[in-house]
Amino acid sequence: MVQIFRPGADSVARVVLASMAVVPVLAVGLAYTLWRSPYATAQNVTREQPVPFSHEHHVGGLGIDCRYCHTSVETAAFAGIPPTETCMSCHSQIWTNAPMLAPVRTSLAEERPLVWRRVHTLPAYVYFNHSVHGAKGVGCTTCHGPIQTMKLVYQAAPLTMGWCLDCHRDPAPHLRPHEAVFDVGWQAPADQERVGRRLAEERHIRSPERLSECSICHR
Amino acid sequence: MPPLSSPSRREALRLLGSGLTLALGACAKPSEEIVPYVRAPEELLPGVPLRYATTLPLSGWGRGVQAIAVDGRPIKIEGNPLHPASRGATDVFAEAAILDLYDPDRSRTVTERVNGIASWEMFVRAWRAPLAKVRGQGGRGLHLLTGRVTSPTLARQIAGLRAALPEAVWHVHEPVDEASAARGANLAFGRPLRALPHLDRAEAILCVGADPLGPGPDQIRFAAAFAERRRDPARFGRLYVAEAAPTLTGIKADHRRALHPRDWAGLLVQVANGLGAGLPAPGLGAEALRFAEAAAADLKAHPGRALVLAGPALPPELHALAHWINGRLRAPVDLIAPPDGADAPPSDLAGLCAALDAGTVEALVILDANPVLTAPADLEIGRRLERARFSVHAGLHGDETAGATHWHLPLTHALESWSDLRATDGTASLVQPLVRPLYGGRSVHEVLALLGGEEAASGHDLVRQTWRAAWRAASGEGGDFETRWRRCLHDGIVAGTAAFPAAAPEPRLPDLPAGPAAGFAVEIRPDPCLWDGRLANTAWLQECPKPVSKQVWGNALALSRGEAARRGVSAGDVVRLSAGGRAVEVTVAIESGVAEGVGALTLGYGRERAGAIGDGIGANAYPLVSAASPWLATGVEMVPAGRRAEVLRTQNDVRIEGETRKLFRQIDLAELARAEPKGIGADQPSLLAPWQGDADGHAWGMVIDTAACIGCNACVVACQSENNVPVVGPEEIARGRMMHWLRVDLYDSGTPEAPRAGFQPVPCMHCEHAPCEPVCPVAASVHDGEGLNLQVYNRCVGTRFCQANCPYKVRRFNFFGYADGQEYAHLGAEPVRAQRNPNVTVRARGVMEKCTYCVQRIATERQAAERDGRPMGAVSTACQSACPTRAIRFGDLNRADDGVAALRRDPRHYALLEELNTRPRTTYLADLRAPNPDLAEDRS
Repeated sequence: MVQIFRPGADSVARVVLASMAVVPVLAVGLAYTLWRSPYATAQNVTREQPVPFSHEHHVGGLGIDCRYCHTSVETAAFAGIPPTETCMSCHSQIWTNAPMLAPVRTSLAEERPLVWRRVHTLPAYVYFNHSVHGAKGVGCTTCHGPIQTMKLVYQAAPLTMGWCLDCHRDPAPHLRPHEAVFDVGWQAPADQERVGRRLAEERHIRSPERLSECSICHR
Repeated sequence: MPPLSSPSRREALRLLGSGLTLALGACAKPSEEIVPYVRAPEELLPGVPLRYATTLPLSGWGRGVQAIAVDGRPIKIEGNPLHPASRGATDVFAEAAILDLYDPDRSRTVTERVNGIASWEMFVRAWRAPLAKVRGQGGRGLHLLTGRVTSPTLARQIAGLRAALPEAVWHVHEPVDEASAARGANLAFGRPLRALPHLDRAEAILCVGADPLGPGPDQIRFAAAFAERRRDPARFGRLYVAEAAPTLTGIKADHRRALHPRDWAGLLVQVANGLGAGLPAPGLGAEALRFAEAAAADLKAHPGRALVLAGPALPPELHALAHWINGRLRAPVDLIAPPDGADAPPSDLAGLCAALDAGTVEALVILDANPVLTAPADLEIGRRLERARFSVHAGLHGDETAGATHWHLPLTHALESWSDLRATDGTASLVQPLVRPLYGGRSVHEVLALLGGEEAASGHDLVRQTWRAAWRAASGEGGDFETRWRRCLHDGIVAGTAAFPAAAPEPRLPDLPAGPAAGFAVEIRPDPCLWDGRLANTAWLQECPKPVSKQVWGNALALSRGEAARRGVSAGDVVRLSAGGRAVEVTVAIESGVAEGVGALTLGYGRERAGAIGDGIGANAYPLVSAASPWLATGVEMVPAGRRAEVLRTQNDVRIEGETRKLFRQIDLAELARAEPKGIGADQPSLLAPWQGDADGHAWGMVIDTAACIGCNACVVACQSENNVPVVGPEEIARGRMMHWLRVDLYDSGTPEAPRAGFQPVPCMHCEHAPCEPVCPVAASVHDGEGLNLQVYNRCVGTRFCQANCPYKVRRFNFFGYADGQEYAHLGAEPVRAQRNPNVTVRARGVMEKCTYCVQRIATERQAAERDGRPMGAVSTACQSACPTRAIRFGDLNRADDGVAALRRDPRHYALLEELNTRPRTTYLADLRAPNPDLAEDRS
């Protein structure tokens, strides 16, 4: 009698059976990893800007406060991007002829706004509010990373919903005293766990269940 | 055989492959831009809404509003609490003004009939010759046609023009006018005084063909006063309404009688005779007589607190008779000099037609009016306009009149221009722009100045000049103009400008006219959604269900069942109505409460040049309007046209025995003392765990008072405006789809001849045991700790299980991308998108949505409170802030001092379908009526 299957057929069948079980799992795992990877979240991607504004120089070097430029960070959902005027309040005195600043001078002279490329993009259905986070003691660098070292700003955190929820479910490790919110050099003290819990209580920060409800961020 | 179609299999595969490659490459996030200011305006916070007080016109009358702008983009209209015609509330027309602002069909350029697109400079050149000619003859040959003018600045400009050119003629034509009432006041008092009834002081009210609670410039004022008084059971009073077809006032009446217009005179005479008029007894039917006697007795029993209102369709003599009755009753009516009156009264449209026939019109200027559509048809103004040597029309749209004149000039919207307007009580308020003109255009003041030869006048300066002069005249040289101007702009009202009641003589008893001709009559009314037709291109209004018939996207001739049967027509038949040699083809709708021998039809439809939304929708009723009797067409012939058409409705009539009484609780005032509040069924056993909020949280709830609801739809359009609710269009409505998050249902526990109906607004109930939640396979329908039933759009996969399981039918599904790529007509255009509320997600195709209790407003207040470290203040939903009668109350059930918690203990309280154990958060107060015991068996 002629054999229907070749000798290797058994192995092939085993491999096929095994991969039927394994491949979907791997595929989902790969998709999930890709989804969370900096490639998809645009984490650590530096974007080219019309003027290579350096936070390292202005914040790290000169020590300008965040609120000097991002004026509405304490009062509105949006932190605010400074108008050209703000740049020129200093640069009409110093570096007045720097070629790097030509677009800023043109902007003011021609009344045409500078067009920056957005670095921190949240989906349209996420309603993040800077003022509340600041008021509750979440510092700028908690989400924006070591801004004082960035020559060009990049997105330091993944900004995924899971990352947001990590803190909403357990805010204590990230809470600072009010005076340290805008302190870019702030380091968590050794007893942060205790301090954070005390701050959470003092500031009536809601329970993890409430803070992870959909309506907190979505409308 | 040729191949089936291109591409071939090979090409298709190639395209598929390249598509896949491109799609993979597109996985990165899109690059967004941030564009900051060059010089930031002071006090402007990015993304934070700002409110500006301004005024919107309706038929020339001003209604104060607060327009909300985000980043310089107007997105919403709310009421101005300081303004007497708004009292903090809005109506559908005010709410829809924001969509009208962005209408892509608004005219964008000067046009000339032959050469098409032109420019302002070309018009100025063309205008020089006719202007020089009429100037040479002292203005003879110059005719100016406007709508009702209440603007002090426009009145000043027109007066200036008439002073400079004394022979020029000013004509006024307002489609929804009050000519009959003005002539009636003239008959009664010898002067055209305007009556301002005080519904808050009148307890016994008789309306004859009048609809004070219906749409119009006074709707908010009247409805608020009426509902506020009725909150006090001791001053509840009684409302009698006799009308041809149901109006909002008729629905709210304690006694309503469907009465043919020919009997209106008899009814008023009967009441007058009861007060000693001694007029010959009218031949009223037995039932009408009983109604008249009961009403007369009630009026007589409330001296000083009784009021008779006559409708616009009544002849002047009957208005005079109503004044006489009110005089006898010492009715709470103020009589004021008409705020739109001029020192030298303007001519009318008939005068213009005579001049056109005589061929003496050198130059005709039509300012913000559309006479070709709205003039009484017997004047044939469209044909006559041809006889003007030079004609120019200025308007928001390139409408019917723009097509009949030589030139058309684009005007700016009220939200783009400086102006001023007066309300019906004379209160003046300023109109300030929120945005630069979107489509070019100039304001009426600028256009009139241009026509007078001043080219560079700015509307801002013209309005300021008016008030500078007015205030100087009033207070001498003293007074700081800037401070006062700023105060008026801030408040949205010029304090102290309300008219003082005039001292009127005792009203005379008029000679009564012969009644209207026999035969079939059609009562013509302004539309509750489109008004006189100028708002026909506003999609929100086209899709807003008419309060009583619930019809959308069209109008229909309302007939009673008996009348239709007698004439052999049925609902959906198209009939041809002809009167005075003109005919209209219109679809028949059978409605309850229409009198025999009369039909009712609304204006505003059948537009030819409205735009992409309004063109060709419904039937144009204007051909039935005649100069002699604008609101009542008599001797109308009706023949079937042999076609059928669909009447699109959003509430389909379903009657289940006994359900109406359960779903719509109605209580008589006499039984109020014995009424018990009904709970939400929280005492029933349930398998689900009881709802438990957060310890420091809120429990949002809403109580809707159906006794106060007048069904005006302001809440429906306000919700649409606030929540980016899309319009679906007539085809989708015909498939039974709609998107309104809030609907107003009409329940009728009476009979087709004598309806006993009421309105019930139905938003999401936010059930504590929500039936939508357990059936969602992806947890897109979830609860939050404050009791909101949330819909998570991003999780929704569109199974529609929740919609099927919702007993209240408040969930709406995006079968198409109604708001997101597949918009109806031009609603996807870039300017329309600018109206959207940035605080609310625009829902995509394939997701479910529903009322959120305005979660964005709750979140905004919560975040502000958290930021400032204070407890949360009051939150007002969009529907609540629009409501003229405060029928909708929203608040925190956990706070004892909040009104909502107290309302749940009101004896009229009940919940919808509480036997289903859903434990709704939205609950109702029962409708309250005070029927007259003398008319007990005739209760309607």
